[in-house]
Amino acid sequence: MDFLFYIFSALTLLCGALVVFNPFSRNPVTSAMFLVLTIICMSGLFVLLKAFFLAAVQILVYAGAVIVLFLFVIMLLNIKEEERQRFRKFGTFLGAAAVAGLAWILVTTVTSSRAGERSLANNAGETKPLGELLFTNYVLPFEIVSLLLLVAMVGCILLSKTPDTEDTNDIEEETE
Amino acid sequence: MNLSLISLEIGVALLGVLVLLAGLWTPPHRRSALGFCTALGLTVLLALLVKQGMAIETLTDSSGGFVRDGLAVFFKALFLLAGILVTLLTMGFANRLRTGGAEVYALNCFALCGMLFAASANSFVMLFVAIELITITFYVLTSLQSHRLRSLEAGIKYLILGAAASAVMVFGIALIYGSAHTLQFNLIADGLAAGHMKQLLLFQLGALLLLAGLAFKIAAVPFQIWAPDVYQGAPAPVTAFLAIGSKAAGFVLLLRVLYTAFQVQPDGPRLLEPTAMFSVMAAATIIFGSLCALRQRNLKRLLGYASIASAGYVLLGIVALNERGAAAVLVYLAGYLFAVIAAFTVISILTPEDEDEDLSILANLHKRSPLMALTLTLAVASLAGIPPLAGFLGKFLLLRAVIEPAATFPWLVAVALLGVVASLYYYFGIIREIFWGTGQWWTEKAPETAAIKLADSQVVVLVVCVLGMLAVGLYPQPILEIANAAVQGLGL
Repeated sequence: MDFLFYIFSALTLLCGALVVFNPFSRNPVTSAMFLVLTIICMSGLFVLLKAFFLAAVQILVYAGAVIVLFLFVIMLLNIKEEERQRFRKFGTFLGAAAVAGLAWILVTTVTSSRAGERSLANNAGETKPLGELLFTNYVLPFEIVSLLLLVAMVGCILLSKTPDTEDTNDIEEETE
Repeated sequence: MNLSLISLEIGVALLGVLVLLAGLWTPPHRRSALGFCTALGLTVLLALLVKQGMAIETLTDSSGGFVRDGLAVFFKALFLLAGILVTLLTMGFANRLRTGGAEVYALNCFALCGMLFAASANSFVMLFVAIELITITFYVLTSLQSHRLRSLEAGIKYLILGAAASAVMVFGIALIYGSAHTLQFNLIADGLAAGHMKQLLLFQLGALLLLAGLAFKIAAVPFQIWAPDVYQGAPAPVTAFLAIGSKAAGFVLLLRVLYTAFQVQPDGPRLLEPTAMFSVMAAATIIFGSLCALRQRNLKRLLGYASIASAGYVLLGIVALNERGAAAVLVYLAGYLFAVIAAFTVISILTPEDEDEDLSILANLHKRSPLMALTLTLAVASLAGIPPLAGFLGKFLLLRAVIEPAATFPWLVAVALLGVVASLYYYFGIIREIFWGTGQWWTEKAPETAAIKLADSQVVVLVVCVLGMLAVGLYPQPILEIANAAVQGLGL
């Protein structure tokens, strides 16, 4: 199974890099499609960890819903500006230097440490144990996330509402 | 799950939902009643909290992710007080918001709820969820004046930078979990103490990324880049809440992570070199904030840079790595609460609808509204650290924490003192503008002289802030005792 892990993680990294740094295309749609590939490879990693639920959610929610939204936005806004922009040499150099530095730290840390001693419990990633954990140990954070979603929803409605109509509508309703 | 443990948070969240629902049926001209009800509800909750007292005994919930000790109660009281004052302040400002006149109170409650959870966070899951609740609410609040381009710009900037910071932080948490096999602060500390940590280097990398995420919340150099733009663009009441609430939440989490989870001590195991790291960070933050504030003429932006500088002073209390430093952080934040809210109240009243908050709007303030002139002068003097106000006490304690046991970092103290001198310059620029300002001298327009009529809620906020600044400064005994008791549970 080890080689599968290496294949999937290499593919994840490669596709992830192609999302932000694609030498062949500056088209945002291409980037979004590579993001889909990244996410699919990541769900492969989850499968290797026997976290089948997370793998399925990854595909359904991210590859399915979120990326479709991305594509909608990109196509609706018709972003051409980005394509015309050239790579800035200095920026590319700085970015590459920062990435190389971080990668060096990561590689030295990972190679200097041994593999995890504790192996995962066999069924830790399946739906039932996950649900049990969510509703026992992590019930409080789980509930806070619901509050978070409420805030996000209220915020979306507020920010996309056209400002001036609101008050007049209310007054009209009153007079009626 | 012991529900009585989180009754306060449930109360605030329920209040938010109720206000949200009530807003649907409230006609626009009755909206300030909603704000009044919110403030009343929060006051009742604060009274209940104070009545329970500073619980010295530590209570945790069954999973250990939520803790209620002296530190948590101190910060909960701080956040609730800030929430009440900001709600009252919003009441006077709500007519400037073209959308969300009712929802803004609910969003304030939700942000407050996140802060209350942050004060009690004892595991990295809780930390992350609480921070996200605070930050996402502030993304919305920042861009609430969506007809103003600056407000939208600030919202977008905050959203993008904040999301990047969250991503870095979550990566850090993943690395910590990978090496420690637990997310709970106490268990991580146990693992570190017992030397079980096999991948110490990986753990340190995770800790570093996590601290970067927290440094973004408190706007410390080099993660300060968002602060001036967001402070300037956000509606004034939101800026006030951001300046005290979001920042204090960052500090309480920083204290807990450093002392409870990582157990950093001056003579402890060498983890991350915390003293060196934080002293460099504090010095850079003070220098950056002070230098940028010197020539700034936009009032909100000026206070944004000043808040960066003050984050640097608070970091001094963390450099010290002892109980005294932690207590100084608490005292400073308590004084900072009143000063910052007072300043932003005045700004929110004075700023004209579609203009920038240039310093010239302050001209003649002492004739137009003596109460506002007095409050702003006191607030600014307190921020600058003039005795006998609250800010002096805080800065004094923070400096003493670095100096007293042994002056480990003479250069750091020198930088801090230089920062204080610079702050005198830019803060007194504000005072000069109030009493001797000539308005917009470049247009030769005479400054406004018409008296300003204050709403009742605004008078209440101003008076509470003045009393708070004077009380903390003149009679510091109670707050010192409370702060000292609160940091006992940190495990220093």
